[in-house]
Amino acid sequence: MAERVTVGRREPHATDALFDTLGKMAHDGTALLHAYVGAQGLTLVAAPAGPGAPEELVLGPGPFARPTRTGHQLFWGVEHALPAAVWHHAGRRHPVRGRGLHLMPLGPVRGDVSESLAYQLVVLGDEIHQVRLRAGYKRRHVVEAMAGAEVSSALAVAERVTGTSPVAHALAFSLAVEHALGLAVPAADQQARLVLAELERVTSHVGDLALLAASTGTVAAAAEWLRLKETLLRFQAALTGHRYLRGVVGPGGHRRPLSGALSALPALVAAVRQQVDGVAGALEATNSYLDRLHGAGRLPEYADGAVYWTGFVGKSAGLRRDTRWDAPYADYGALTSDLAPVAVNQPDAYGRAWVRVGEVRQSLTLLSRVMEAGPPAAASSRPPARCGAGVGLGRVEAPRGRLCYRVEVRGEHLVAASITTPSQLNWPAVPLALEQRNILQDFPIIDASFSLAVSALDL
Amino acid sequence: MFYRRWLMHYLKRPVVTSFPGRSDPDAPARGPLDVTANALFRQSLTLRQLDGGSCNGCEAEIQLLASPVYDLSRFGFAVSPSPRHADLLLVTGVITEAMVPVIRTAYDAMPEPRLVVAVGACATEGGGVFHGLPGVVGRLDAIVPVAARIPGCPPSPNDLLAGLLAAVGRPAPTAVAR
Repeated sequence: MAERVTVGRREPHATDALFDTLGKMAHDGTALLHAYVGAQGLTLVAAPAGPGAPEELVLGPGPFARPTRTGHQLFWGVEHALPAAVWHHAGRRHPVRGRGLHLMPLGPVRGDVSESLAYQLVVLGDEIHQVRLRAGYKRRHVVEAMAGAEVSSALAVAERVTGTSPVAHALAFSLAVEHALGLAVPAADQQARLVLAELERVTSHVGDLALLAASTGTVAAAAEWLRLKETLLRFQAALTGHRYLRGVVGPGGHRRPLSGALSALPALVAAVRQQVDGVAGALEATNSYLDRLHGAGRLPEYADGAVYWTGFVGKSAGLRRDTRWDAPYADYGALTSDLAPVAVNQPDAYGRAWVRVGEVRQSLTLLSRVMEAGPPAAASSRPPARCGAGVGLGRVEAPRGRLCYRVEVRGEHLVAASITTPSQLNWPAVPLALEQRNILQDFPIIDASFSLAVSALDL
Repeated sequence: MFYRRWLMHYLKRPVVTSFPGRSDPDAPARGPLDVTANALFRQSLTLRQLDGGSCNGCEAEIQLLASPVYDLSRFGFAVSPSPRHADLLLVTGVITEAMVPVIRTAYDAMPEPRLVVAVGACATEGGGVFHGLPGVVGRLDAIVPVAARIPGCPPSPNDLLAGLLAAVGRPAPTAVAR
């Protein structure tokens, strides 16, 4: 095994000192979160804790936040939002020194079908030694689009932050607006929200598993996962009129009723469960698949407690954090009392896949529980008039992890908004995981095992 | 172990969708496509997708084109990792300022003849809900010539297939009974 070589003249990186600090303080999560937030120039906004809920934190722009339009923000190895001219002419060429070390630029046009993000891999032969991410190519200024907009048009923007999880974004936005204005939601709509959120989670995870199987060359399994995803998408189109469930969830109640296809949900859940058991079971017995996943992209131990990894990245590192349990919303409180978040202490590509298979099974259980208790009434309620003003917070467990919206509302208009997406919290894990003596051939697998959205990082 | 499942599938009926999906419940009729038909590509076509600031919705649907339900390869289409091997560039998303030089570079790298297809509401309607925001250019045809526009937010894989076939001047196959 080659001796670890350091890059000869490595550029001073704003995050290096922070990582050192974090490594030393790995036992104290709150202090670390404050350090992380302080390094980003953000402030912590304390949310009103629900019954039995731990202190909830959401990141909002603080007084020292750097300008994001023209300047750049650094956090955790992610160089963020550089203006086009700067990165394109100067940014791509970093000086790399050291015997045998090469800089391998990858992106922003990369992979078969992928979002725009540039990797800079410093490699020694096949071994990846240092990884930098260069984001900011696809910054759409989502938060600026929401500020000052009407609630309905801000909701349309929220649904397009990440196109594959619009329910989570619409739900977090709606919870925040409801919290700000004190709106009540009918019980039927609460139930339907749970159905939509869990359907979205199943679809998203199945799609992720398809990409992971494809990256390991298990094309037959990838085809089966993709076919299952298409089945789910068609059901979703029949249920709501949109393949990705857009246009239903809204503040105070549904904007559109669910269709009669809801009665077919129990049959779909049974069929999906059978298919998931079949494919996941066969993959568990396929050595060529398992060999590629075990140990690939293992997150270092010092990072486990230090960083607020969320979603399946956190759960695969043994962190039992899930908003559905920590701060229940919709109808989760009653339905999840005898369940626990799926978690395993194996922070590698296999662990992340394992957690997602477990979450798919758990979501199917939740869906069948809702339908056993009586399907949600299909009738849509007229959203109550929005009046008054206030600041509200909405937290949901999106397919990729915790998603927070903080909004300031005045009447029908949004004064300001800030968003913390799971992808923002988890992208810093990707360079960390890649740098742990992985080889280039593992890169697509590790990339697919995180399956994070760039659109939710660039915002 | 997967080989056993794989072999078992050969005993079953194929799942490929009938095209363009007359029996497909998920193919709402759309208006006529804005297409400059191009009869240059008769046998095969290599695609490259380029994300100009999308929400990942269009990418998710393009990825589904490779699924057994749509099976892009039966039309002679393939996806390329590099624009240098691509005949057709699928551009998605609002076009951000940072992506303008990237799109131009990718287009210049493509061999002639080449086509650009704008995919999704953002790329075809000047940014969609993000129109007019800082850093959002919105207009793709100001950067590269656009041969076809496939609307939809996101366009379903059926729409994508119909648009791609129209873009290369091929007739849409008649629907096959399942």
